[in-house]
Amino acid sequence: PPFLFVLCIMYSTFPGRYSDDDGEDIVDLDDNDFAEFEDMNDEQAAETETAPPPRASQTSQPEEDEDEDEATVELEDGQDGFEDSETQDQDMYSKYDREEFDGIEGIGDMAKPGHSMKDPLIIHTVPAHLQNSWESYYMEILMVTGLLVYIMNYIIGKNKNSRLAHAWFNSHRELLESNFALVGDDGTSKEAVSTGKLNQENEHIYNLWCSGRVCCEGMLIQLKFLKRQDLLNVLARMMRPVCDQVQIKVTLSDDDMDTFVFAVGTKKATAKLQKEMQDLSEFCGDKPKSGAKYGLPDSLAIVSEMGEVTDGVMDSKMVHYITNHADKIESIHFSDQFSGPKVMQEEGQPLKLPETKKSLLFTFNVPGMGNTSPKDMDSLLPLMNMGKQKADRNRARVEENFLKQTHAQRQEAAQTRREEKKRAEKERIMNEEDPERQRRLEEAAQRRDQKKIEKKQMKMKQIKVKAM
Amino acid sequence: MSFNNMADPRRQNKILRYKPPSTDTNPTLEDPTPDYMNLLGMIFSMCGLMLKLKWCAWIAVYCSFISFANSRSSEDTKQMMSSFMLSISAVVMSYLQNPQPMSPPW
Repeated sequence: PPFLFVLCIMYSTFPGRYSDDDGEDIVDLDDNDFAEFEDMNDEQAAETETAPPPRASQTSQPEEDEDEDEATVELEDGQDGFEDSETQDQDMYSKYDREEFDGIEGIGDMAKPGHSMKDPLIIHTVPAHLQNSWESYYMEILMVTGLLVYIMNYIIGKNKNSRLAHAWFNSHRELLESNFALVGDDGTSKEAVSTGKLNQENEHIYNLWCSGRVCCEGMLIQLKFLKRQDLLNVLARMMRPVCDQVQIKVTLSDDDMDTFVFAVGTKKATAKLQKEMQDLSEFCGDKPKSGAKYGLPDSLAIVSEMGEVTDGVMDSKMVHYITNHADKIESIHFSDQFSGPKVMQEEGQPLKLPETKKSLLFTFNVPGMGNTSPKDMDSLLPLMNMGKQKADRNRARVEENFLKQTHAQRQEAAQTRREEKKRAEKERIMNEEDPERQRRLEEAAQRRDQKKIEKKQMKMKQIKVKAM
Repeated sequence: MSFNNMADPRRQNKILRYKPPSTDTNPTLEDPTPDYMNLLGMIFSMCGLMLKLKWCAWIAVYCSFISFANSRSSEDTKQMMSSFMLSISAVVMSYLQNPQPMSPPW
C-alpha cells in the first residue's frame, strides 16, 4: 500500500510537463490522482488540458459528468486520445484499490479542499494561430478578395471607358477632320501635326484639341466618362445616377464674336452655372428663366444678359434643334467674357479683372444614363453640326440686334479699356526720344486704327449680304 | 447663305498649339480624390504600424489602390508607389508582430 501511494505521488508530478496553465492544473491533477482512491460518484468536475502518461487499458466505463465535461472542454487536438485512457485508468484503479485504500480516504478528502464544490468551467481557447485551419483567417481572406474584386473592376472599367472613347472618336472623326486643320494635339511635339488620336488624361477623361478653322482659335473636346475604374464610384453611382458627359469648349478669336453672355440648359445646370461662373453671375439677371417662353421644353432654363440676346440666339432652327435633343443637352454657354468659375476672393479686391476669353461651351449628356454603348455616340453627331452652324449664325444675328442696344456697364468697361490702351500707347509714343521713331509709331498706330474700322465696315457689309 | 457651307472652313494658318490648362488658375476644377486618398493611406499605414492595428493597415492598402485608380496620368508615379509600398509594409509588419487573425469588431 505505501508503495502504491508513492507511485501515485510520482505520477502526480508527470502531468506537470503537459500542462499549459500552471496553478489550476496541478490542483486538478492532484484531485484526479486522489480520485482513484474514491468512489466514482465523488469525482468532481475537472478541467484538464493535460494528460497523464498513457496506460494500456481496455475497459471503458460509462462516463460521468466530469468526463463529458472534459470531453467538451478539450479543445486541443492531440489530447482526445488521452481522455479515454485517463477515465479508464481511474475506473480501473478505483475498482482495484477500493478495498485497499479505504482507510486513506480521509487523506484524500483533506487533500482536496472544496472538492464537493463544482469548480466553474473555465474554457481555455487555444490561440487561433496555433490551430492549423484557414477558417480562422476569414477576415483576411475577405480583405484579399475585396482587393481582387477592386482590381478586376479597375481593369474592366478602364477598358470600357477606352472603348467608348474610341467609338466616339471614330464616329466623329470625319466631321472633325473636315472642319479643322489640326485634329489632336498634345502640345508636346515640335511641329503642329495632327496626331489623330485622343489624348488620355486619366482613366476616365479624354481630351481632343482641334484647331485651324475660321472664326475659332481652337476647340477642346473633353470626354468625361464615369469613373468606371473606381469601385467606390461605381457603388456611389448606384445611389445617384449620373451620365457620361462630352464637354466642348470653343475659343473664338477676338473679333469673331459679339459681346454677349448667354446660357441655356437643364434647370439644375443653369442654376449651378449662374452661381459658379464669373461671367454669368456678373452680367446676367438673378434667376434663370424657364425655357417655355421661347418655345423650349419646360425642363430647360435660360440665363441671359438681356431679352434681346435670347431672341437673337433662339431662332427657329435653334429651337428646333434644342427641342429635339433636349435630353442630351446639359448646358450651352456662350460668353465673350468667359473666365472660368468664380475664384475665391482674397482679402483685398483683385487688382485686375481676370483674363477673359471669348468662348462657347457646350456640355452634352450621353444618353443611356451610365449604360452607354458606342452606338449612342453617333447620336451626338447632329449636335456637333448644330454647334458649328450656330457659331456663324449667331454672330450675324446678334450683332445686328446688339448694335441697336448696348449695355451701359459693358460699354463703359469696354470704353475704359480702350482708352487705357490708347493712353498707354500714346505715352509710349511720347516717351520716345527719337522724333523719327515717334513719328513712325504714330503712323503705325493710325494705320492700325484705320484697319480696324475698315474691317468692321466690311463685316457689316457681309452681314447685310447674308441677311438678304 | 450657302457661301459658308461650300467654302472649306479649315485654315491651316490659324492653327494654335494645345496648351494644357494651367492648374494654378483653376484649383477648383481638379478632382481632389487621389490626393486625399494618398494622404489617408499614409496616415492609416502609420497608425497601423505604430499602434499595431491590423485593420488600419488593410484600410491603408485599399486607400492606396483607390488613389491609384483615380490618379491623373500627369501625376508622379513615385508618390503612388511609395504610398503603396508603405501600406503593404504596414500589413506585413502587423502580421509579423502578431500572427493572430484579425477579429471582427462585432
